[in-house]
Amino acid sequence: MLPVMFSAVPENTAEKGNTMSTAITRTAADRQRQRKKWVMAQKAAPFVFMAPAVLFLAVYLLYPLVSSFRLSFVNWNGLGDTAEFVGLDNWVRLLHDSVFWHSAWNNILLALFSIIIQLPIALVLAVVLDEASKGSRILKILYFIPLLMSSVALGVLFKNIYDPNFGPINSILDSMGLYSWAHDWLGDPRYALGSVIAVVLWQNIPFYMVLFLAGLASFPREITEAARLDGATQTTIFWRLKLPHLQGTFRTAVLLATIGSMRYFDLIYVMTEGGPENASQVMASYMYKQVFASFELGYGTTVAAAMFIIITVIAAVAFRLSKRFETEV
Amino acid sequence: MQFKPTRTFTHLLSSAAVAALVPLAAQAQDTKTITSWDLRSDTATAGIVRDAMDRFEEANPGYVVEASHFANDAYKTKLKIAFGANEPPCVFASWGGGPLKEYVDSDQVADLTPYLDANPEFKDRFVPASFGPVTFNDKIYGLPAENTAVAVIFYNTEIFDELDLTPPETWDELMNVITVLNENNIAPFALANKNKWPGSMYFVLLADRIGGPEAFRKAAAREDGGSFEDPVFIEAGERLQELVEANAFARGYNGLDYDVGGSRRLLYADRAAMELMGSWEMASIRNENPAFAEKVDFFTFPSVPDGKGDPSNVIGTLGDNYVSISSACPYKDKAFELLTYLTNDDAAAARLADQRVMPLKGITTEDPFLNKVLDVVGEAGSVQLWYDQELPPALGEVHKDTVQQLFGMSITPEEAAAEMEQAAQAEAQQ
Repeated sequence: MLPVMFSAVPENTAEKGNTMSTAITRTAADRQRQRKKWVMAQKAAPFVFMAPAVLFLAVYLLYPLVSSFRLSFVNWNGLGDTAEFVGLDNWVRLLHDSVFWHSAWNNILLALFSIIIQLPIALVLAVVLDEASKGSRILKILYFIPLLMSSVALGVLFKNIYDPNFGPINSILDSMGLYSWAHDWLGDPRYALGSVIAVVLWQNIPFYMVLFLAGLASFPREITEAARLDGATQTTIFWRLKLPHLQGTFRTAVLLATIGSMRYFDLIYVMTEGGPENASQVMASYMYKQVFASFELGYGTTVAAAMFIIITVIAAVAFRLSKRFETEV
Repeated sequence: MQFKPTRTFTHLLSSAAVAALVPLAAQAQDTKTITSWDLRSDTATAGIVRDAMDRFEEANPGYVVEASHFANDAYKTKLKIAFGANEPPCVFASWGGGPLKEYVDSDQVADLTPYLDANPEFKDRFVPASFGPVTFNDKIYGLPAENTAVAVIFYNTEIFDELDLTPPETWDELMNVITVLNENNIAPFALANKNKWPGSMYFVLLADRIGGPEAFRKAAAREDGGSFEDPVFIEAGERLQELVEANAFARGYNGLDYDVGGSRRLLYADRAAMELMGSWEMASIRNENPAFAEKVDFFTFPSVPDGKGDPSNVIGTLGDNYVSISSACPYKDKAFELLTYLTNDDAAAARLADQRVMPLKGITTEDPFLNKVLDVVGEAGSVQLWYDQELPPALGEVHKDTVQQLFGMSITPEEAAAEMEQAAQAEAQQ
């Protein structure tokens, strides 16, 4: 910013000098010099503008990233000066670690369910609320509440709802005589992941609902009116007009849901800590377990680095696919 | 417009900076802060610690003790981060054993031996065995501070009376109790095994009853052909799964959270009749449900057929929590003095009133429950520390994971033993 300002000031005075006939040659040379300065400043400006952001990224993103990759080559408990270089050992171990791959698969399941269940529900809610416009204020707020609650509070709440002996779910099932339906929701490896995913989806639906509502807000009312005059039904308007209009928003939502699911941590940690028997383990909770429970900072960091690679690849592929989708519609 | 700092502005700025610095400087000169972290997350026990700290502050003007209390699992994480970030608390609590050894091996913990040698009367108050979990290479790194905690089976005397049951002393008697309770639609054991260590207690006790403490000692130390694939551990797994198959545990045991009282709730609601837990559980029950506490008694884990282990052996800890000083602490001498306040006779008396017994020689109490605990400890052939606290952390995790899998019936005892042995070998190579 500054160089531009400085160069602007002398140029002004140079123009004033131009009116004085006594110093023409000097001002010409001056001008050239000024122009050179100005060009230099022009070139420097973008860098100066970018510097704060780049610096910020370097300190908070690039440096941790590089150093975490560096840590993945050591065996270290994270305390004191005891790190020991082990080369690719951690990475070899990771490749053979069935728990890690199982965790990664759970992440993918979470992403798939987010896209298949969460987004359609959010879309329906958004369309209905958008239709209902007046009087839907309260509903909008109500639907938004899950997102406002802290994940930890929500996790504890649902832990009680899922409680196999005292929770409302099993109490209702038991009172209806459906004993075989009353499962151990969080303690049985067959149901733990599903139970947690249900809560994760429930919490995040409002986010996508708001996203779609924002998308619908930019949908011109005249088009709906024109379509109605032409005899289009609500269903036709939704499928042929609103949905195509939302395709950009939908793409963003799919990307966000995928990336969010791949690095998911909080509710899973609060509700099951990845258990039982790693049934609901995701990559982030597995990393946490390695670093903080097993004191294996080196290996935990390897998990984190692998997570970074996997998420980057998946995000890149998802981006590509969504681009292709864009050209088709 | 270009900004020119005026003289007044500069003055303002610098005086503001100075003003901001003044209180800091004053504070640094006047008071020295000793930070202390522990797991006393309920108000009653935290109050006892605070009182001891107040007495220390009174005797040491200029020193302030800043205490923070955390919940169990959160504490382990928090402590690890603080040490990793080189900002450890001055005084901190632990269970000794493998995890503390990680800190000791990384030169993060102050050696207390010189202080204790200088105060022999103070040191000799403690039961010598209580220093076991904090002694590494003949140096002592902590003081037993809280309780004598051993794993016993709490039971609801009312239910037992109604069903004409008596505390089982043998495995067969235990299996009979389980059958009778199940017939009456009462779950035999309440277990909250999301946290994994409560379930580990069953395995540790079974292994101890079957093979005595030696089997584990040899396997953990990798000595005398010790192995986690020893038949002792396989049989322990088999017995454990025998309990699971006999429906010995209340529904959902592998998912219930101990930290939110998942197991005690079952007892309070008469849905379960027994719970295997550390003797600290009695204090929790008395605090949470005093009326229920009246009908609670305990017995020790029964013997196992052909078991080599002495049925009087206990698992647990003489000390429960140990207090240590980090080597980064700037006022180590004063911090040690604080430790003495935390563990002196006043503090011991206050804890006794809260139903917790510090491992001091000749400690006596009027409380029948505590006397019974003291008797159990006094008669014990050996005191085995919890495996997950004795073993190095990574191995402790494998132990807890495999036991949880045994409980879930998703792994055979042989597989569990093999996995444990493999992890132990890998750990030994490091």
